[in-house]
Parts: sequence; C-alpha cells; structure tokens
Amino acid sequence: MEDYKFLFKIVLVGNAGVGKTCLVRRFTQGLFPPGQGATIGVDFMIKTVEVEGEKIKLQIWDTAGQERFRSITQSYYRSAHALILVYDISCQPTFDCLPDWLREIQEYANSKVLKILVGNKTDRDDREIPTQIGEEFAKQHDMYFLETSAKEAENVERLFYEIAAELIDQARSKDGTNVNKTTADAIGLGNFGTKATQNSCCSGFSSNTSQTNCENGNSRSNT
Amino acid sequence: MISSMDTNEANNMQSDLVKIQDEEEAINSNLENLLSKQSILDSKMNAICYFLGALNTVSTDSKKLSSQISHTSDLAESVSAKVRSVDMARSRASECQKRVHDLIDLQLCSQGVLNAIEEEDYEKGSALIGRFLSIDQNVLRRTAGDVGSNGSVTSVSDAVHTLEKATEKMRKLVVIRFDEAVNKDDLASVERFLKLFPLLGMHQDGIEKFGKYICMKLAVKCEKELRSSLDIAKAENRLSVAFADTLTTLLENFARVIEVNKPIIETYYGSGYLIILATLLQNECDLEVKNVILEFNKNRRIADLIQQINEYNRSMGGNMPSLIQFQKQSLNTDKPQPKDLDALILELTIMHSRVELYFRFLKRKVKSDIEASDKDANEKEQQIQRLSTILNNSDLSRKMQEILSTYLLFERHFMEESVYKAIILDTFEVGQQCSSMVDDVFYILRKCIRRSLTTQSVNGLCAVINNTASCLCNFISALKIPLKNGYPSGYTDLAYSAIQSAVQHGKLQSSDSEKARSNFINRLNNADMSTEFLETLWETVEQDIKNTFPSLSVTEQRIVDSCIAELRNVRDTLKACVNFGMTQLRSSAIKPRLNPWIDQFFNYSHILSEEELADYEAGETFIQTLIVQLDAFLSQFKNVLTPRNFDAFVSILTSDTTSRLERAIKKSSFNRLGGLILDQQIRALSSYLTGVTSWSVRDKMTRLTQIATILNLEKVEELSDYWGPDNENESPSWRLTPQEVRTLLALRIDFRIDDIKRIKL
Ligand SMILES: Nc1nc2c(ncn2[C@@H]2O[C@H](COP(=O)(O)OP(=O)(O)OP(=O)(O)O)[C@@H](O)[C@H]2O)c(=O)[nH]1
Ligand SMILES: [Mg+2]
Repeated sequence: MEDYKFLFKIVLVGNAGVGKTCLVRRFTQGLFPPGQGATIGVDFMIKTVEVEGEKIKLQIWDTAGQERFRSITQSYYRSAHALILVYDISCQPTFDCLPDWLREIQEYANSKVLKILVGNKTDRDDREIPTQIGEEFAKQHDMYFLETSAKEAENVERLFYEIAAELIDQARSKDGTNVNKTTADAIGLGNFGTKATQNSCCSGFSSNTSQTNCENGNSRSNT
Repeated sequence: MISSMDTNEANNMQSDLVKIQDEEEAINSNLENLLSKQSILDSKMNAICYFLGALNTVSTDSKKLSSQISHTSDLAESVSAKVRSVDMARSRASECQKRVHDLIDLQLCSQGVLNAIEEEDYEKGSALIGRFLSIDQNVLRRTAGDVGSNGSVTSVSDAVHTLEKATEKMRKLVVIRFDEAVNKDDLASVERFLKLFPLLGMHQDGIEKFGKYICMKLAVKCEKELRSSLDIAKAENRLSVAFADTLTTLLENFARVIEVNKPIIETYYGSGYLIILATLLQNECDLEVKNVILEFNKNRRIADLIQQINEYNRSMGGNMPSLIQFQKQSLNTDKPQPKDLDALILELTIMHSRVELYFRFLKRKVKSDIEASDKDANEKEQQIQRLSTILNNSDLSRKMQEILSTYLLFERHFMEESVYKAIILDTFEVGQQCSSMVDDVFYILRKCIRRSLTTQSVNGLCAVINNTASCLCNFISALKIPLKNGYPSGYTDLAYSAIQSAVQHGKLQSSDSEKARSNFINRLNNADMSTEFLETLWETVEQDIKNTFPSLSVTEQRIVDSCIAELRNVRDTLKACVNFGMTQLRSSAIKPRLNPWIDQFFNYSHILSEEELADYEAGETFIQTLIVQLDAFLSQFKNVLTPRNFDAFVSILTSDTTSRLERAIKKSSFNRLGGLILDQQIRALSSYLTGVTSWSVRDKMTRLTQIATILNLEKVEELSDYWGPDNENESPSWRLTPQEVRTLLALRIDFRIDDIKRIKL
C-alpha cells in the first residue's frame, strides 16, 4: 500500500462553484457528484497513479472557493508542489478574479510551484471565455493551460497525469539523478500550454509520448 | 467293506465283526442322543405356536390404534378450526365492542363537548375532541351506515356532525386563546394551550405558534442582555471577553429552550416534532447572533485590524522582512502589535468554540428526537439530512466560519510577529549554549497551536499547524544567515586563547570576529536545539489533538496527519541546516588548525636506533604534543556546543585527523623501532579520542590502526598472522586493499622488496 516512489501535493483553488470538487471527484472516484454542497474549509483525497513505470501518490487538496475560507485555504499553499487554478469558462467573473488568485499564490506559495490554469465546464454551450483568452492569460503568467469538463470527464485524467509527469521530472532533476535530457524533454511538459491550440482547444498540453504513458498508467491503476 | 475282506480268514472275520459291533454301538448311542433332544424341540415348537397366536393380537391392536390416531387427528383438526373461528368471532366481537365503545364515547363526546366549550373547559373539550379524532373516521362512517340499517342513522351522524363542528370551533378557540395568552405574555396560559393543540390534531400549528412566542421572548431578552453586556463585563472585570460572554449567554438561552421544552413536546406531541421548533429557533438565533457580532466587530475594530494586517502582509509580499526592515516596521504603529491581539484572539477562540458546542448540542438533541419517532428509517435519515442542511446553511454557521477566518488571520499575524520579535530581541547569556530565541519561538508556536485547539475546529487547528511550519521556515532562514557567512577564521593563537579565557571567565570580549564566532556557534546550537524542540512539539501536539478530538473522521485524521507530517519536513530542513553549519566549522575552524599540527609528523625521524629511541621517549613525543593541542582545541568547544553538536564536531575532527595523519605516514619511512613507536602513538590517539565523546570513535580509527599494525611488523612474513580469513572474526575486517598493504610495507626500509612481492594477499 505505502509503496510509492514520490508523493506530490496538488492544491486546487479558484472561485466558488467553478467545479473544483467535481474535478477531484471525477479523477479520484470516476463520478460526477450530483448536488453536493459547497466545500467547507478543505477536503482531501489520495490517488496513487503510475506514470513512466513509477508509482506516484497524489495528495489532492480541494479547497473552498468562498471568501470566508481564505485564511484556511491559504495555509495549504506553501507545501503544494502544484497549484491548479480553476475558472468556469461560462462565467466571466470567475475569470476576472484570476489576478487576485495569482496575487495570493504569489504571496503564500513556493515561488517554484507548478501552476496550471484550468478552464472547466467545456461541456456547456454558453461559453463566455474563448479558449485563446484563457491561453493568453496562462502564457502571460507562466502557467500551463488546459480546458476540462468534469461532467463529461474531458481532460480530467490528463490534467492530473500531466502534472504527475512534470513533477517527476522536476524531482529527478533536483535529485541530480537527472534522466538524460532528451527523454526528459520527450516525456516532460516542456511545451505544456505554452504552445497552444493547433488542432483542438485542449492541445499543446504535452507531447504524445507522455499521453500514451498516461493512458498506460491509468489502465494499470484501474486493474 | 465286506468285499474287501478276506473271508477265508476266521481271525480276520472275528476282528471285523468286533469292528462292526463297535460301529453299531456307536450308531445306537448317536441315535439315542438324537432322540433324547426330541422333547426339547417339541417344547420349543409349542412355544413358537403360542407366540404366533399372540402376534396376531398385536397386529389387530395396532390396526385399532392407527385408526384411533387418525380419528384423533380429525378431531384435533376440527377443534382447531373451531378455535380459529372462535378467535375470529372474538376479534370481531372486540371490534364490535370497540365500535360500541366508540359509539358510546361518540355520544358522550358529542353531548359533553358543547357543554365543555360553553363552560370554557378547554381541557375537557379538547380531550373529548381528541377522543373523537382518535376514532377512525372511515370506520365511523361505515358504522353509521351499519347502524343506519336499523333505522337510527340520524343519532350517529348527528353526533359526528356535532363533533366535527365542535372541533372546528375548538380549534379556532384554542388559537384565539393562545394568541391572547401570548399578547398578555401569560406563560402559564401559553403552556396550557400548547398542550391542547395536539389533541385537536394541530401539532404543526401548536409548535409553530409556540416557537414564535418563544422567539419573541428571546429577542427581547437578548436585546436587553446585549445592551447591558458591556456594563456587566466591566463590573466583572471581563471586558476583554465581553462579547464572547454575551454570545455564550445568548446561545445558552436558545439551548435552554430546547433542553426545557424537549420533554414537554415529546410528552404532549410525541417524538419527531422538535425539528420544527429547532428550525424556528435557529432563524431567531441567526438574527440575534448577527446583532452581537455587529457590536463585536464595531467595538473591537475588527474590520480595521483585518485591513491593517492584510495591507501589512501585502507590503511584505509574503516574505519575511529582513531584520533591519523588521525593526523599522516595528516602529510603524499602523501594524497591530501581538500583545494587543492576544486578548482578542482569545475572545475569538471562545466565540468559535461556543458556537461549535451549541451546534453539537442542537444536533444531538434533535437527532435523538428524530430517532425516537415512529417514522421509517429512510424518512428518519432524510429528516437528519434536513437538519444538517438547515444548520449548515444558517447564518450562525456562516458567522462561525467568519469568526474562524478572523481568528486565523490574527493568529498568524500574532505568531509571525512574535517570532520575529523573539529573533530580534534574541539575547545570549554567557554560560548558555542556546540563545533566548529558541525557547521563545517554541513557546510562541506551542501557545498558538494550543489556542487553535480551543476553537474546537479541525480546520482551524490544521491551518495553524500549517502556519507554524511556514513560520519555522522563516525562523530557519534567520538561523542560517550567520551559518552561511561561515565561521570566522584567520585568528592568531593570541586571539584564539583570548576567546578561550573569555569563555572561561564568563565574559566575552566584543571584538568583531569573536562576536561573529560566538554568534556562529550559538546559531549552530540553536538549530540543534530546535530540532529537539520541534520533535517534542509535534509529539505533544499529537497528544493534545487526541484529547481534544477523540473521534475524528477518517478524512479529518488524514488531514491532521498530513499537516503534522509537514512539521517533520521542517525538522529535516533544520537537520540539514545543522549539517551545513558543521561543514562550515570544519573548513574554517578544524582544517586550518589541524593540518599544521599533524604535519609536525614530518619533523620527527621514524628511523631510530635504540639510543635515539630512548632519547625520543625522554622528550615530548609527537603524539603527546598533538593530544595536548587537540585537547586544548576541543575544550574550546566542549562546553559551548550542545552535546549533539559536540559529538558531531569530534566525529569530524577524528575523520580529519586520521586522514591527514594517514597522508603524513604514507610520505614517511620507518624502521622497526619507528613502526613500534607509531603503533603506540596511534593507540594513544585512539584512546584519547574515545574518551572525549559519548559514542565510539573506534570505527573511524580502524584504518589507521591497521596501518600501524602493518608498519609494526617484525618481519614481512608475520603479516600472514593478521591477514587472511583465519583472523576475520577476531579483529575488524581489513579496510586496506592489498595494493595499499604492499605500499605500506614498502615504507619500512628494513623490508626487502622481494619479500613484499612474494607475500600472498
Ligand atoms: N456543466 C458542468 N457543470 C459542472 C462541471 N463541473 C462542476 N459543475 C457544476 O458546478 C457546480 C459547482 O461545482 P463544485 O465542484 O461544487 O464547485 P467548487 O469549485 O468545488 O465550489 P466550492 O467548493 O464552493 O469552492 C455544481 O453544480 C456542479 O454540478 C462541468 O464540468 N460541467
Ligand atoms: Mg468544492
């Protein structure tokens, strides 16, 4: 049970109602929860995944978006390895708040933390934020970018597997046991979000190699 | 047989005859024997015939029995059928009886009810109506039909009619009387009519009306209490927790209503109705709490404080201010001071815990009422769910979350500022290994975590533990600054002994490099002591958590564990910090002194005659000098370093000494006597170093000891006594490679190269 190579802490933040809890449930339990209430304080899930043949334990912290929980949720930023900043593509105000969130991240998180911008609810047909706008914003602020739908399970697995893969690379290069550079580039997230929209609204997240890896990892973890 | 005989021979015939006679006799006796048994057989035969007769009787008897049994069973069946029909008859009879009773009661009720109403005997009237309503109205209608066929339909339906009208009238009356009682604020009457509602089938109305009445009373009471709260607090010298006290009293008022009225409602209304009252009360409670919080925020200038702290944090950008920056900041009066926040933080924790306890109380009471009701499990579950939703969505719950949020903001500010202060006001008392800040910082952290436990909130506790971890990270960087600068070196022996005497006389002279040196040592000790304090901190916190929250959910426990694990990471960082300091100390304190001392080895000849040996032993030997020097050096550090740091220091010193000495040996030449002396000297060094620390340095000395053994051999061939598998269990295995051994042997000028080459390794 406790046999894993890495443990990573991933913290989800973003306005209330953007679907953080749904994303986490979709990924950890494979379901879209009907009518669960707003998160109070923080919630906590664990999922062990296999990426590049390594067992990775992901500690996923789902935080409450409502203002009055801010002083609880902020305290979790510092130890995060990755921060997922979520907005709702069908709700302009959730996008407009992103600079505030970034300020908070800047204030409390480790400066080297991996940051991922996620536009959720792509299944909705009342989109207010075009993909390019999200991408632009991510690029400007040195974040990776991805659009998801917790409801349709679109890009959710991918989001977490890509993060795991990127964090492994970071950890290895810190260890000094750096795997040779070319492979690292091939599987890493070197172009995670920076090169965007060639074919679909969600491309450019990472290379194909890593995607195959993710799927392998996933099927293995499901069996 | 006859044919086989020789008839011619008389003798033979004679003997044959005798034989035949014998046989005849034998046959006769046999025959007699058989005949004698005849009578026995006859009697047996007779017996058998007799029994045969008896068996016939048995067979007829059993046939009789079986027919009897089947007969009985038929009988039993018919009896039980009769019993069944008797039962049915009886139940019908009792139903009938009940109907008759109902009818009689109906008549009585209808006769009595109007009277009762007229006489304003509401209890009697309601009781009669209650009786009427308890009769199954469908059955009643059927009964009216049944009775009707006998011609007296009118009397029954008249009675029903009368009662229905009376019920309606009574319901209106009770409402009117109840409202009157409320208007007159006549509690006795309110309670009197409260009991009548359920008799009239008005459970919901009764509780709602009562609830409204109670809320009204509570509103008045709360307002009065809020107005006088500050005066009372002043009188009782509890001004600093005045609002916590007010909130406590307020919540107690509401809790008392539940406590007092639960049994009343359960007695007169039955179980399952408390949730209606609780919902009404919660609405009122929300309103009242809002007033208290408003007053609290205004009086304590909460909004201002929040703004000031937020602005200050933003100006820091989340970084710890440098010490100079911090000192400047301290002068800035806009920033709330920890000591000013202290009382307020306490008040916030009390407020939060009171609300938490109030919710727990309410949930427990209403839940037990729901459990006791006669609804099915599914419905009960739904009711409990509904209760949770009501409470979670209540304004009180939101207020509670806001209180926690404010508390956490203040607590964090308090913790950070106090820790910075402790760092700035750090004082070092001579004779102490650590400076004041280690004690101070851990005292503050412990106080804050303790305080977070009193909020009764797991979320609050975890946030404070997280903040503790980040605060410690800042503390570590403060510790690290002097360590990064390194241990000031370049002192002369004079300055060096000056420190020594200063330390011994308990006063440090304030030359800059001395100050820097003692500062360095002090930080190194602080870091070491902090690892120990941190371990104690999380152990006691874990215990405190168990005591405060004896039944955490699985998720809550995981969250708590993961936050505490963060403290462990900080401990590892601290350890790394100590190691870093040690390497600094090594390069600037140990290396520069040690190397010249050991290099003295070259100034001695290791090729000695007997005479020279005697001279050498008479004078001061190399090792004596070295040990005196090492001892003087170590005693510098012995009392100024913490025991763990000192052990680490000796360990480094030992490694450096052995490797440097090994290097010197390899560059020298020895004869037999030189080797002998070397061996003695290494032994002396080993026993000296072993005596200095609490752990064994022997392991670190092994290589050197082995080198000395080799150089101390009488003859090359003697090596095989030491080297080889036979000796492995006696002495530690060889740390030297065969190549090294040969090189070492070659240092002996009296060993022949050929011998060395020949030896098998
Ligand atoms: N159409 C659609 N709706 C979604 C999606 N994800 C979440 N929702 C809905 O958005 C609402 C809020 O989802 P949550 O996951 O509770 O939001 P949250 O970010 O956790 O909110 P807080 O806990 O208050 O911070 C719910 O009604 C979900 O059903 C999605 O991908 N598509
Ligand atoms: Mg949520």
